[in-house]
Amino acid sequence: MIEVEGLTKRYRTRVAVDDVSFTVRPGRVTGFLGPNGSGKTTTMRCVLGLTRPTAGTATVLGVPYRELDVPMRRVGALVDPRARHPGRSAYAHLLALAQSNGLPAARVDAVVDLVGLGAVAHERVGGFSLGMGQRLGIAAALLGDPDVLLLDEPVNGLDPEGIRWVRELLRDLADEGRTVLVSSHLMSEMEDTADHLVVLGRGRLLADVAMADLLGRGASVRVRSPQGPLLAAALRRAGAAVSLEVDGALRVEGLGAAAVGDVAFAAAVPVHELTTVVASLEAAYLALTGADVEYRAGAA
Amino acid sequence: MRVPLTAVLRSEWTKLRTLRSTWWCTAVYVLVVGSFAWLAAATTRSAPTADSAVGVVLTGFAFGQVVLVVLGVLAVTSEFGGMALSSLVAVPRRTRLLAAKTAVVTAWAAVVTVLLVAGCVLAARTLVAVPGGVSPGDPEVLRAAGLQVAGAVLVTVLAAGLGAVLRSTAGALGLGIALVFVGPPALAIAGGRTAELLSQALPSLRVGEDSFLAVPTTWPVGLAVAGAWAAGAWAAGAVLLERRDV
Repeated sequence: MIEVEGLTKRYRTRVAVDDVSFTVRPGRVTGFLGPNGSGKTTTMRCVLGLTRPTAGTATVLGVPYRELDVPMRRVGALVDPRARHPGRSAYAHLLALAQSNGLPAARVDAVVDLVGLGAVAHERVGGFSLGMGQRLGIAAALLGDPDVLLLDEPVNGLDPEGIRWVRELLRDLADEGRTVLVSSHLMSEMEDTADHLVVLGRGRLLADVAMADLLGRGASVRVRSPQGPLLAAALRRAGAAVSLEVDGALRVEGLGAAAVGDVAFAAAVPVHELTTVVASLEAAYLALTGADVEYRAGAA
Repeated sequence: MRVPLTAVLRSEWTKLRTLRSTWWCTAVYVLVVGSFAWLAAATTRSAPTADSAVGVVLTGFAFGQVVLVVLGVLAVTSEFGGMALSSLVAVPRRTRLLAAKTAVVTAWAAVVTVLLVAGCVLAARTLVAVPGGVSPGDPEVLRAAGLQVAGAVLVTVLAAGLGAVLRSTAGALGLGIALVFVGPPALAIAGGRTAELLSQALPSLRVGEDSFLAVPTTWPVGLAVAGAWAAGAWAAGAVLLERRDV
């Protein structure tokens, strides 16, 4: 469980996080979404005690991160794939982290194998690719077999096989009852992974919704009838917003498919097609964040 | 159950021993101090007292201290290339982390210095003719040896503190070397009462009356000055580490 309450982080000239509150619950994967510069990383670093908030609080398992007795047994974090010394081997890096929390060296071997770095464990990490760095960071997060995981952009730089591996890993961790918060600036990465979404834009909380609700929010009904104008009029009388699609079908918003069918039956209008159209997550996300993109390519 | 401090110390020892720079610094330290000691002992035929013979042989530490500054600074600044994020997530109590890190690198510097000083005393005993010989149990010899080890400890703590204050290898190295190596002799050469006092107020590894590249003071004053610098720099480093965002 991660609780963020009224969190604000102000830098000299800009507000990185602006009065953000949300709760991350165990047993599901919570996607932390937002365009670049929207405050995701700052929020996560405040939760981990790395950055001091200007106002508000962030707690993990009910206490501020700095007060956890054995932090790595409770919380695993991937903050930055470059959070290591390039001159150390992967094994030495993980061993030092494990020892700092009194974890047995056997855990190092276990996580090295789990993330697939076994063959390069004794090579210096300075020569690692971004993807290998991500795997090393995930290995460090898993060292203490923690109840809570915070991963900042874990699939950045991973190949398709690696992305699928991270997805399945997150799924498994959540299914085991752990709290999983994973950030990304790409909706497509979340589509198959997250059960719940927390969306930031320009430091503000834009949405804290179940994935299914976000999908439902943009849903509409497509209906086709040989007596289109008659049906459209009946639907408008029933309170729906109706628009005409290119192929002559009607796009109905504000009524479910069943209600549209009932209206057609009552008006004695034949129906040739009746479908619920789910908005793509990408579209729903863009609609949500469109106005809140901090860095936008200028018009040419 | 809290994490015991020994766990953090063990972790910091792993960090120190798995960096190549640690072994390079140690090798250079031993080489510089050792070769100066051998050279000084071999070219000094005789000395009036045992502690003056040992004092001559310990000359190399005046140069070797530069390596201790590098060792102490790197122990801390090596974290700030990104590693600090991982280290502070693992050990969020920051002063505790800095204390463990400083303790480990200082202990390493102390162990190496003890061995080097022992070698220096042995060289003086075998190569320099002193009336009555150089006895390792001689209180004057023991004091010179002890001061050398204490000086090494304090310079390493000072360097670690500077590393935490400046968080940059280049900056902390420059300041550390200026304080213990460039400043004292430069001011000693400059002459004048003010420069003399300033030179005495800077931390010099060859503490007190033994000081070679600085204006001499009594050893308790020298030890107090070096101790104050080390404590001040370290405390400032700890306060800034607690306060700053990573």
